[in-house]
Amino acid sequence: MSKQNVILEARNIVKYYGEQKVLDIENFTLYKGAFNFLIGPNGSGKTTFLQILSLVDKDYRGELYYKGEAIDYQRDNLLKSRRKFSVIWQNPYLYKGSVSYNIGLPLRLRGVNKKSIHHKVKQMAEKLAITELLSKRHDQISGGEKQKVSIARALITEPEIIFVDEPTNSLDKESISFFNQHFSELVTDEMTVLLITHDLTQVKRLANHINSLDKGKLIYQGCPREYNSNNFHVI
Amino acid sequence: MNYLQEALIEAFKLIINLDRELLDVVTTSLRLSVTSTLIAALPGILLGIIISRNNFGGKKVINVILNTLLGLPTVVVGLFVYSLISRRGPLGELDMLFSIRGIILGQIILILPIIIALSRNAIHDIDDKMYKTAISMGATRLQQFKLLLAEARYGISGALIAAFGRVIGEIGVSMMLGGNIRGVTRTITTAMAMETNKGRFGFGLALGLILLTIAFLVNFGVYYLQAGESSV
Repeated sequence: MSKQNVILEARNIVKYYGEQKVLDIENFTLYKGAFNFLIGPNGSGKTTFLQILSLVDKDYRGELYYKGEAIDYQRDNLLKSRRKFSVIWQNPYLYKGSVSYNIGLPLRLRGVNKKSIHHKVKQMAEKLAITELLSKRHDQISGGEKQKVSIARALITEPEIIFVDEPTNSLDKESISFFNQHFSELVTDEMTVLLITHDLTQVKRLANHINSLDKGKLIYQGCPREYNSNNFHVI
Repeated sequence: MNYLQEALIEAFKLIINLDRELLDVVTTSLRLSVTSTLIAALPGILLGIIISRNNFGGKKVINVILNTLLGLPTVVVGLFVYSLISRRGPLGELDMLFSIRGIILGQIILILPIIIALSRNAIHDIDDKMYKTAISMGATRLQQFKLLLAEARYGISGALIAAFGRVIGEIGVSMMLGGNIRGVTRTITTAMAMETNKGRFGFGLALGLILLTIAFLVNFGVYYLQAGESSV
């Protein structure tokens, strides 16, 4: 892929947990409008790296570049950058309140007016076929439904980059099948996705670009065709 | 009719007729308790959050001290504050002894540990994912704080209700620092003690019934909030 298509770059990222170095990545590139995958065995540092890339974790050494410009960690600028991204977490957290409140929350935080939030929440719920859940409380829905709500919450702001951390882990078969079939339809061409997964089906079906992590180091970056299928055992 | 029956009938009559003296004592008590709870709420909640969310040297010791102070005898607080605000005490010039301000100061000291400890527990119970999710949604620092308070609202409200329950039923602080002055610092508990000693058992019983009703409502409030926590 060409340099023009790069939306986010990470250079010389080093992260420690106490005395232990858990990440040591010289160069990482996220391609615009593509499904970028981050794969690797458990404990390889995937989620830790995702938290750094999504600007949730600031406690690391190294540089991040968004569209060629270094990320500015001054409070207001950092907030502006964060608001261009969304994260779908593994086992998502829903706030106390209705499903509707949860989906519209990122818009409320951005000061969007109530009428507009209501309209967008309804639209997003229709796309994910969860309209009947809107009035339910956060603890009245299943794990699969929670994941759908968190997808709606992440997409409602139309982010430039969506970070997705093992979205189908610990979900039932029906919810996994829903995600595999519909997630790519929900993401627009302008959106960039970085998806962490252990699910080969998702990689084979969606990946435009693969990044493989092992023991905190990036051991492969490239397109899926070139990725030796024998390497899939490390997923 | 026996003594208890007569007293009970008199107590109910006083309550039903909204006896002026009775109302005066009850309103003084409620005013004092609400005021001290409201004043202690802000520092108590903030300290609870700070202790829960930060790791610092001596945190364990502070937690042990806090837990110890939960059962602080009211007369000990009364004695401590008395030594501060009596004429020869360091705050003697403020003329707070045997005044509403004196009782409020004592009650604040009595309930601060309760509000801090219960708020700390409420914040501690919140899943760590809540903070990460708030940051990733683009919440400002203030918005993160508001989300935190909203998530802990049942626990924090429970802390305030428990604190109110503690002050409305205490006697040590009110007696030692208020002096039981009629119409000024006479509270439900100090009036109960005094009127019963004077032989007005019916009056004392009426106040006791009112205090029991308030205690019931307070406990019902805590129960309702706990039920709300598990169902909302």
